[in-house]
Parts: sequence; C-alpha cells; structure tokens
Amino acid sequence: MKRTLPLIIVAGSGFFMLVAFFIPSKFFQDTSQTFQNWYIGVAAFFVFIGILNLVKINIEKIQRKLRDWRYCYILLFFLAFTMATGFIQGREGKAFLYMFYNFQTPLGATMFSLLAFFMASATFRAFRAKTPEATILLIAALLVMLGRIPVGYWIWHNYPDLVEWIMTGPNTAAKRGILFGIDLGLISMALRVLLGIERSYMGGGGE
Amino acid sequence: MNLIERLSHLDRRVIFLLVAFAVVIPMLQPIGLPIDITKPVKKVYDKIESLAPGSIVLLSTDFDPGSEAELYPATEAIIEHCFRKNLKIYVMGLWPAGSDLGNLALNKIAPRYNKNYGTDYINVGYRPGGAVMLLSLGKNFGDIIKVDYQGTPIDLLELGRAVKSSKNLGLVMTLSAGDPGILHWIIYFHARYGVPICGATTAIMAPQQYTYLGSGQLVGLLGGLKGAAEYEVLVNRKGRASIGMDSQSIVHVLLVIFILLGNIILLHQKGKR
Repeated sequence: MKRTLPLIIVAGSGFFMLVAFFIPSKFFQDTSQTFQNWYIGVAAFFVFIGILNLVKINIEKIQRKLRDWRYCYILLFFLAFTMATGFIQGREGKAFLYMFYNFQTPLGATMFSLLAFFMASATFRAFRAKTPEATILLIAALLVMLGRIPVGYWIWHNYPDLVEWIMTGPNTAAKRGILFGIDLGLISMALRVLLGIERSYMGGGGE
Repeated sequence: MNLIERLSHLDRRVIFLLVAFAVVIPMLQPIGLPIDITKPVKKVYDKIESLAPGSIVLLSTDFDPGSEAELYPATEAIIEHCFRKNLKIYVMGLWPAGSDLGNLALNKIAPRYNKNYGTDYINVGYRPGGAVMLLSLGKNFGDIIKVDYQGTPIDLLELGRAVKSSKNLGLVMTLSAGDPGILHWIIYFHARYGVPICGATTAIMAPQQYTYLGSGQLVGLLGGLKGAAEYEVLVNRKGRASIGMDSQSIVHVLLVIFILLGNIILLHQKGKR
C-alpha cells in the first residue's frame, strides 16, 4: 500500500492531465486548472525546502569541521541578515536592496566571469584536433568565434552571413536531431512513470 | 628547450594575465570596432516597431546576477525601445532575482520618458512554477497574479487590470539564462496561446534557439552580449554592451590564438614521436 497508493495518484493525475489537454469541457479545464494551481503552491514551497536544506548542510559542515567550514558561518550570517532585512523592511527596504545590488549582483557576475579565465586555459590545453570529428568541430568553432564578434565583420563584411549560415544550417540540423532524441526519451520516460514501470522517483531504485 | 616546448609548459597564470589584459585594456582605450546587425536581432527590433502604441509587452526577466553582464544591457535596450514606442511593459520573472534586475532597469529608464508605475509599466515579481505556471497564466492572469512585487493588489493598478489573459499581450520578450526560461515560453506559452515570443539569451544558449527561429516559433533573438550590442546600435543607444564588444572581440581573438597554438604544439609533439 505504501507504494501502490503513490503509483495510483501519479497514474490517475497524470492521465487526467493528459486527457484534459485535449478535451475543452468545463469540468476537465477547471479541474486541471485546480491541479496546476496546487502545483504552483507546492513549487513555491520548494524555496523553503531549499533554504532549510542549505542551513542543515552548512550546520553539519560546521559541526564536523569539514573542509572550509569557517565560510559556512559567513553564509549563514548573510542568509539570516538578508532574510531579516527583507522581513523587517520589506522588498523595497534600503538595506535589502543595497545588499542585492551591491553584494549579490557584482558577486554573482564575478563568479560567472571567472569562467572566461578557465575557458581560456582549457582552449589552450584541451581543444585539440586529435580526430577528424574534433577537427571539424574545431574549424566550425573558430569560424563562429570570429564571426560572432565585430572583428569578423571588420575582416570581411560578408563573414557574419557565413556564420549565420552555419547557425541556421548545420547547427540547427544537429540541434534538431538531438532535440528529437531527447523528446522521444522524455515521452517514453513519461509513459514509464504513468504506467508505474519507472519507480525510482519514489526513492529506493526500481523496486 | 625550443619555443614550442616552452609554450607547451606555459603556466596557466600567464594565460589568466593575458585574458585580464585583453578585457581591461579595450575598456580603458576603446577601439570602436564596427558592429554589424544580424537577422535575428533585426527581427526583434522590427517586431517591437510593428506594435501599435499602447500594446502590452510582457518582459520576463528570467536571469540572475550571474548572467547580469550579458543580459542586463539587453534589458535596458529593450525597455528603452518599448518606452520610445509608447508600449506598456509588464515585468515578471521566472527566476527569483530576475524581477529586481528588471526593476533596476525600469527605475533608470522610465523617468527619462515620463512613464509612471501602474499605468505604463508594472512589475509582478518572481513567479514560481515554471511550465505549469505559464500554462495557467495564459488562460487567466488573475489566477496566478493577484499582487505586484510590492504586494499591491493587481486590480488597483491600471495595467494590472488591463491584462486578463494572453490575448491582451502584444509580445512576450524573455531575457533568459537557463531553465525555466525561453524554452518554456516557446513550448508552453506560444504553442498553447499563440503569443509571439522574442528572446535574449546568454551566448551559450543562442545556438539551440536557432531551431525555434527556423520554425517561426521564436520571432527574433538577441544572442549574448553581441546581440545586445547590435540592439543598442539599432535603438541608437551607447550602452554597456557596445562598450563591452571591444573587450569581447580581443578575448575571442586571444582564444583563437590559444587554440591554434595548442594545436601547433600537438602537431609538433606528434612529429617528434
């Protein structure tokens, strides 16, 4: 029963939503709308679960004195401080917005920008034409990299058109092939879940 | 040890230093390379130009500070274009921090065009739920959006009252850094409700969107900082994207040189064997 009931709920609600998509009657539309609203409520609750999880993991790290455990204090302090300013002053509070625009925004941008340095190092060490396939990829990458910046246009005014052809032709063809594969996989996975064949989402593997 | 062998043992800190110079020097001493306009960007511009004054554009800021460098300039350029055309802007975000970045741009640009909150633009904040939320949203905005980002009841705002369903929207413009984002808008909102979708994405996401550009499910696209720079040229605005293009150009050239050098080293090593 512990496993049968969740399977019945998943299959029942899943097939109902599938049928409701194609039947425009009021009952099906209103009920599917209610299900969707429930989902949105649950999705909003995920944020709280995320915060609880973050706090739990960092407290555990401090207790066990795992690697870089001292940084966890900083994280927990700013988490609590940001939440407190948000709750006390509201979304438009000076301290809350100051921290968002002057701490979170530049720090987030900095973290992402660091990728440029590692990417540069990786291009030098790893992006090598070891096989014919890798050579084709490399040539296409070089062409697109130059064509996607003003230098390409500066070298030859029709260069961006060549890059646009690569993007709309070979790139789109390859992407569509990959997407078809992914979507077929998604459909088969969805059917497996609805029919109760795939049960790993309940935890404990396939059994 | 010859030059190629020395290069093969190049310290990665040298590479980091070269990249840093390639980014900083063009910012201090701009080169002013010409910026060409690509078709996907022109299509976004033409689509906004074609909207009648008073039309409502839903601007979905689906990114966070991590992608701010690439997507924020596009946000400003699009908002500026919409206000110039007297379009109304309805901001929301599928990412928690997105709507605050949208606010930053709105608060900067709206006063220049004498636009007022509530009548010319509103921000309804972060909306969780991804695909399922979008499916419900298109049917009835009132089911999903009851207050704006400050907690003001949506019915007290003129623009909030004006948007009842997807039929009231002239265009959805998503500024997308991942999931949920542009794909959700195309697959769930456009496919179900037929509202035209334009997008601005990070450069790494742009190639995948060509599939939807080709099929017409996506009207136009601003890919990465280059797309934003092109848009700034179209709306005649000297913004951060245009300024950043020189740096990006030099870094790309540097990366091309690194790739070529890496492969010369590979050939040299193969030859020796």
